[in-house]
Amino acid sequence: MNMIRKFIPVLLTLATAATMSAQRPTSFDVDLSGYWTPVLHEDDLERGNGPEIADYGGFALNEAGRLFALSYDVSRLTLRHHQCDAYVMPYQMRAVGNFRIWEERDSHTQQLIAIHVWAQTTEGHRVIYMDGRQHPPAWAPHTYQGFSTGKFVGNMLVIHTTHLKQGWLRRNGSPESDQATVTDFFIRHGDHLTNTTVLNDPVYLTEPEVRSNNYVRQPGDHHAWLYACDDGEQIFGRQPDNVPNYLFGKQPYAKEYSERYKLPFFASLSGADSVYPGYAERIKSKTDADARALLSPAPGRPSETSKAVNPEPRDGEVHVYKIKDNMWVLLGDGGNIVVQTGDQGAFVVDSGEGKISDKVIAAINRLSPRPIQFLANTSARMDHVGGNGKLAAAGSDPSLPGSFFDLQAPGAATGRQSDPLHHATLISQNNVVTRLQAAKFPDDAIPADTFETERRRKFHNGELIELFYEPNAVTDGDSIVHFRKNDVIVAGDVFNTTHYPVIDLKSGGSVQGEIKALNDILNRTGYEHEEQGGTMIVPGHGYISDEHEVLEYRDMVVIVRDRVQDMIKAGATLQQVQAARVTADYDTRYGANSGPWTTAMFVEAIYNSLKK
Amino acid sequence: MIAKKIAIAFSLAAIAALPNAYAQGGRGGPPGPPPTPKAAAKFDITGYWVSLVTEDWRYRQFTPPKGDFTSVPLNPAGKKVMEAWDAAKDEAAGDACKAYGAAGLMRIPTRLHITWQDDNTLKLETDAGKQTRTFHFGGPEGAGGDLQGYSRATWDYPVSLINTFFGGLDFGFTLPPPPGGSLKVSTSKLKGGYLRKNGVPSSARTTMTEYFDRLEVPGGDTYLLVTTEVTDPEYLTQLFWTSTHFKKENDASGWSPTPCSAR
Repeated sequence: MNMIRKFIPVLLTLATAATMSAQRPTSFDVDLSGYWTPVLHEDDLERGNGPEIADYGGFALNEAGRLFALSYDVSRLTLRHHQCDAYVMPYQMRAVGNFRIWEERDSHTQQLIAIHVWAQTTEGHRVIYMDGRQHPPAWAPHTYQGFSTGKFVGNMLVIHTTHLKQGWLRRNGSPESDQATVTDFFIRHGDHLTNTTVLNDPVYLTEPEVRSNNYVRQPGDHHAWLYACDDGEQIFGRQPDNVPNYLFGKQPYAKEYSERYKLPFFASLSGADSVYPGYAERIKSKTDADARALLSPAPGRPSETSKAVNPEPRDGEVHVYKIKDNMWVLLGDGGNIVVQTGDQGAFVVDSGEGKISDKVIAAINRLSPRPIQFLANTSARMDHVGGNGKLAAAGSDPSLPGSFFDLQAPGAATGRQSDPLHHATLISQNNVVTRLQAAKFPDDAIPADTFETERRRKFHNGELIELFYEPNAVTDGDSIVHFRKNDVIVAGDVFNTTHYPVIDLKSGGSVQGEIKALNDILNRTGYEHEEQGGTMIVPGHGYISDEHEVLEYRDMVVIVRDRVQDMIKAGATLQQVQAARVTADYDTRYGANSGPWTTAMFVEAIYNSLKK
Repeated sequence: MIAKKIAIAFSLAAIAALPNAYAQGGRGGPPGPPPTPKAAAKFDITGYWVSLVTEDWRYRQFTPPKGDFTSVPLNPAGKKVMEAWDAAKDEAAGDACKAYGAAGLMRIPTRLHITWQDDNTLKLETDAGKQTRTFHFGGPEGAGGDLQGYSRATWDYPVSLINTFFGGLDFGFTLPPPPGGSLKVSTSKLKGGYLRKNGVPSSARTTMTEYFDRLEVPGGDTYLLVTTEVTDPEYLTQLFWTSTHFKKENDASGWSPTPCSAR
């Protein structure tokens, strides 16, 4: 009996092992933990000292990608909000600096939850979820490291990454868009680790970009994991609408690279063809004139259209996304709707298109124990005010009845809403009222609580909420709404991630006002770390952002403005400006040739705005 | 009494499961002879593959200027040899293929055609320079001495020094290899050549370890990743380590053999 007891553990082990072997796994879960140093035996100069201007060889850049890179002036990094730009993941894996990798396991089950990768440069913290979770919805924020899920396949870790920010393929302006997705592989051979990234970018690449990075395992910690960055004043007196860039065809250093290394001028500019064998032979007949033609948009072509995924749900349902403990974004009914809740009634910004207002109200009622008390409008756009009537009617503003003013002059304080206990109070800049009246909106769907200039303040649900008037931005009645404690800015149509700004000159919009409004947002934001996180920005349309997305959008508007301005100075007509495709490097991200707001209309708005 | 029953039950379970566990995928019956390397292949490496020159582009698509050895850990002796590079001289001496030796061949923009020469030998051909490398999974050591040297191949996978399933206990048998793995190729007995076409040298004392891995992008392309570790005590200060990509091609339509070029 004692002998049997003695062997029970052994027998248990044998049986367990045999059972495990009988159910042979399909992968070997490689341990990647440890300290890893990149080995720069490839592209050493580019990754270390920095790349040359116009060195795009080996990149399958499309025309938009090439023109974006040529327009890029590295002085842009002196702008306050660009100074701490972090590296997007595919570039981060390729950058200099050490890496630390560790596993996160559930303390009870010991199942692998995630693999963490910490990069010394820019403190890039990549989390690769291994627990089978889904990727977030399309409207979720983007980050420099993106959202990664992985699984072991054979002897390698295979990872899929989405939700990346816009960044670099290379530090010379070669772009990677926020639409890029990556499949990458980690393969370990002893103390050597190789990471291969396969990057798909429908906006700037014609085919996937494949690159590998090698790392050697270090025996210990070198204790240098921080990369503190704070922005500061680098150039005094620069105008806030100055974004360093080169006009199309006027990149002064475009030929420097080819001359320095005795390459054909054409060689590094041609995109995917440069990746394949026989390239030198194929371009033998190319001249400098052929190369110069690539420095500007190809003439006579129609504008490209957006290759981006529209993150707005269009399934007839309201989708709720939590952004703070007591704040949510509601998507699905036109423009984004923001809800703040608390002890008082809900504070709502914008009411959507009004097509599914009942569902919007039901969603708000699930979030807030009290009805809507205030509804602010960021503009008079129909996809932001369409639900005003229904949402207001579902609300209640108990702060008005019985007030001193109400007693003195009944009805005056409540404006058009005669029964505030059964109606939310609508707030907006005064021009919204004028526009809605002109549009024959019903009285109870028109804001009564209005302001004319600067800002409207309200302390509600424990935080200060400020509406800042942005005169003549996309219309003459735009406001941005800043929730101070939550640090959320609702931008309305001043900023979106889905299309060029709809600068409506007939409604009082202007390109200069739009640039100022975007700068006003940037003047109120802060980042948590390396130009990421911190103040959240809810666009009028598109995915939830932070200052980085607003920054890139601001840059775009300024750069296109500069090109149009330059052509106006040279005496160009609107038709000539449109034919010049002044938005060619942004059209694959924001462009449209049909629908309510086309690229041609955007260019026309800028042209006419500047001609005024 | 209960303990005895438990022990017997587990013993029976273990005995029943053992053949399944240790027959390396067998379905019962006595284990047969080990599979051939071809049959035991960890992945299908055969077919046509095309270089994707996305890294070191300037040094690979074009012959870099003389003296440019950026990224290569070349020692003073190597630099001296590099400075003496003369393409015309190489051509005159019939040495136009010096950059197409095993140490540099994978970096040449090329197409690969990989086939099984027999059950124990893989053949890798390039259209650029019309070179052939053979990877031997066994047999006697070859003489080498040419640009491609002699290459020994194994299917490589992570193996623990201790049988971890048993907590370190040794029962006299090993577990089957884990799924997945790489093709590992060790090459030596090379004739001196170039790491790059501009005369960055590799000596006859060069040895190389290469790993070939097949990468499948879900819903996308298939790639061959070749990581190459070159050791050259004569011309390098440290291991020279590169990773090179090839994309799978459906057929031979792109195959275009061209002779070596020294320039």
